[in-house]
Amino acid sequence: MRWCLALLVCCLLAAVNALSSSGSRLLAVLEDTDQKDLYSTLWADLEARGYDVSIESPKSDQLALFKHGERAYDHLLILPPKSKGLGPSLTPKHIVDFMNKDGNILLALSGKASTSSAVSSLLLELDIHLANDRSAVVIDHFNYDTLSAAEKHDVLVLQRPGPLRTDVKAFFDGEGVLALPRVAPQTLGGESTLLAPILSAPATAYSYNPKEGVPAPEDILATGSQLNIVSSMQARNSARFTVLGSVEALEDKWFSASVKTPSGTETPTVNREFAKQLTAWAFKETGVLKVDKVEHRLATEGSELNPSIYRIKNETVYKIEVSEYVYDKWVPFELPGDDELQLEFTMLSPFHRLPLKPIGRTETSTIFSAQFVTPDQHGIFSFRVNYKRPFFTAIEEKHEVTVRHFAHDEYPRSWVITGGWVWIAGLWAVIGGFLAFVVVWLYSAPVADKLKKTQ
Amino acid sequence: MHLWQATASFCLLAATAVPGVAASAWGFTDATVAVQPKGAGINGGFKDQLTPSKPLASPVSLVGADTLRVILTAQEGSSAKRPHQAFLLLKDGQTGLDISYPFSVKDNGKSRVELTQKDLPIQFLSLSNPVDARVVLGGFGDSTAYDSSVFQLSIDRNPEEAVPTVETERYGKKPEINHIFKDSASSPPIVITLAFVAMVGATIPVLAGLWHLLGANVSHLPTAFQSAPLSHATFLGSLIAFEGLLFLYYTSWSLFAFLPAAGVIGTIAFVSGSRALGEVQGRRLAGRR
Amino acid sequence: MAPKRHAASTTSAAPSAITTPAAPKLSSGPATLKANASAAEIAQHVWHQYSSTTPQRTLLLDAFMAFLVLVGGLQFLYCVLAGNYPFNAFLSGFGAAVGQFVLTASLRMQTSDSGVGSKPSSKGKNARFADEVEEGTGTSHERAFADYIFGSLILHFFCINFIN
Repeated sequence: MRWCLALLVCCLLAAVNALSSSGSRLLAVLEDTDQKDLYSTLWADLEARGYDVSIESPKSDQLALFKHGERAYDHLLILPPKSKGLGPSLTPKHIVDFMNKDGNILLALSGKASTSSAVSSLLLELDIHLANDRSAVVIDHFNYDTLSAAEKHDVLVLQRPGPLRTDVKAFFDGEGVLALPRVAPQTLGGESTLLAPILSAPATAYSYNPKEGVPAPEDILATGSQLNIVSSMQARNSARFTVLGSVEALEDKWFSASVKTPSGTETPTVNREFAKQLTAWAFKETGVLKVDKVEHRLATEGSELNPSIYRIKNETVYKIEVSEYVYDKWVPFELPGDDELQLEFTMLSPFHRLPLKPIGRTETSTIFSAQFVTPDQHGIFSFRVNYKRPFFTAIEEKHEVTVRHFAHDEYPRSWVITGGWVWIAGLWAVIGGFLAFVVVWLYSAPVADKLKKTQ
Repeated sequence: MHLWQATASFCLLAATAVPGVAASAWGFTDATVAVQPKGAGINGGFKDQLTPSKPLASPVSLVGADTLRVILTAQEGSSAKRPHQAFLLLKDGQTGLDISYPFSVKDNGKSRVELTQKDLPIQFLSLSNPVDARVVLGGFGDSTAYDSSVFQLSIDRNPEEAVPTVETERYGKKPEINHIFKDSASSPPIVITLAFVAMVGATIPVLAGLWHLLGANVSHLPTAFQSAPLSHATFLGSLIAFEGLLFLYYTSWSLFAFLPAAGVIGTIAFVSGSRALGEVQGRRLAGRR
Repeated sequence: MAPKRHAASTTSAAPSAITTPAAPKLSSGPATLKANASAAEIAQHVWHQYSSTTPQRTLLLDAFMAFLVLVGGLQFLYCVLAGNYPFNAFLSGFGAAVGQFVLTASLRMQTSDSGVGSKPSSKGKNARFADEVEEGTGTSHERAFADYIFGSLILHFFCINFIN
């Protein structure tokens, strides 16, 4: 019954989910709905990719993130409000609840006006920090657009970001330059593993409040690559929260603009392409991983599949099939760079942590496998694959098995072990001696009698 | 000094002349870098002039509690002016780390920045190679901003002190773990084993010899078989059979094959044994034992 | 067939009073020991007493026990020299020797004291009377021997089971 229901739900989801792996209902929150024409290309692009975009003002009475306790939307795109907050239905608590229920959020900021305190406190909950006065703008005297910001230098012209680290997949890279007008910079807390910068400012960039004059040295909060233009937070439930520092970069105007850096030539921007990459990642069209199948068994031919019990020192094979969702389909997952998918064989702490090597692929997934010998320790172990990486949804697979001791008939027989031969000989010598003794005791005539007879 | 200033401005002019832009460019003059050891006077320690066009040949070393001081006068074109951005930027090419320290700038362009190892992020302290120290000067409008390496800063540490490290957890692959198995017990050299096997085997002849010395015999065997042939034969046979059964059990049989057979043979041994021993008792009571 | 020495000793033992081999020193043997006898003399005396007063059947039994001590000692020595792997084999091999020794010692206790008592029967005492005495004091030799066989077979079974 439950199985049928699950199948039905799957079918329904498949029909509804034309694109994103987690639903198509997108709510765009725009304070002044008249401004929606500024972003018409963005809306058209999103709708073309299968999103069901509803644009609401935060002041609207109908606006509610939840309906009957369930999410009313799958994704949330928040454009920066001018007023102090986002209204009663979009408090930071609501937004965090939305994330806790696996909803994805893309929050755009703007350096044009100071960011509302509600947004700032929401970001603070995620350990993303804005400048103290919430109205800083990123300036770079080396990478600005000379055509539109010759005087103010506040339209950054940057390459698309490459991989964050050598073992992290680059979701946002590509040719061409981005124009990022009036960026509200963010700095990330250092302790969280959930935060990852998507696009950082160049080393020569700094932030300042344009309403003030020359910044005093102590007013400069952060410089260079510590300033983030686009940052991301992926929660433990893999819900995504993306912050874009410059909402203007999404405007139609900048999708088709041409820019020129002080040292470069005039080139068209790739903002539209980047907006696609960014929204696709933020709304789980990319970077979504799925485990299709997990198998573990003894390495011997014809052994039972996924047994619940193993013996110590058993040669064991573990296989896992992983798919990655790329825009509209599941494809075989490939490890980025020098990254590893690791298998842990754990009882309290891992006894083995081994790389899973790709051994083959199906149409939609890559098969990773590792072979190892179960430890010489009996107990309840688990096969664990805990793959958490920046920009990828988490894989947490845990399969518990019992590892038992040798059974009494699995030890080598005593005569196989040469060291035991002496004791085996001793035992049989005792038995032989016993038999001889029985005969002697039963049938030995007293010698004295015999002597008497002979005498 | 005048000569030096003249050369500096000449270099600056030459540098700005290359882009061929009409707009003026940011630069600096009167620049010095100094490293002042803790407790030393204002003129103690290392000091050197900086030129905007060329970095110092040898790295500047910043050890322990020393203070690094950079003083310069910022210029737009050839006139001293206060820039909007005046940073000392430390950049490591290998790791991509960067950090900027803003100069405190006066309106006449005179700028200074002081730096100790305490001000540096921990990540910089563990770098082995000198980092690039750059001066970044820039302002609004169309003046070309200045960003160039002026010296190499070698962040040296007292080798006896531990380098502080940052232990921030990041998602990524973890070190591989391979379980270390206990060594399997090994048998002693076969020679020793065989020698002892031979010695144990030799105890049987020793026993036989000892009994022979003591006058053991089987003289009563005919007597016993005459008086109670069946029970004696069965008793002795069942005992030998029982030990044979044990041997079979040792080599191949399972417990459940052994137990019924042992039960049967045990019963036979019990019945025949009570009769055979009765005969033995008869012999004893007859005084023949 | 039998060596002369033992033949002589058994005959000389015949007239001696009831003696247990466990306390030969206290007995009044054919040769009495001086108060200031040397250790060698004492040992010689003890050995002489033992060999002269112990019945031949008990001597055979003692020889078997000596054999068991030898087998057990060799196994223990091997364990000390070459390590105890596989330990279960050591336990069952050594345990077989020790267990057999204990069982044999029990058999000796049950048969040797009345073994002397059986001597008079061979000297023409009333056999019926001797039997009654036996049954009054404990078990008969044959009953003890049957128990001994039963115990030994069980011991062998356990040892074989354990040696794997």
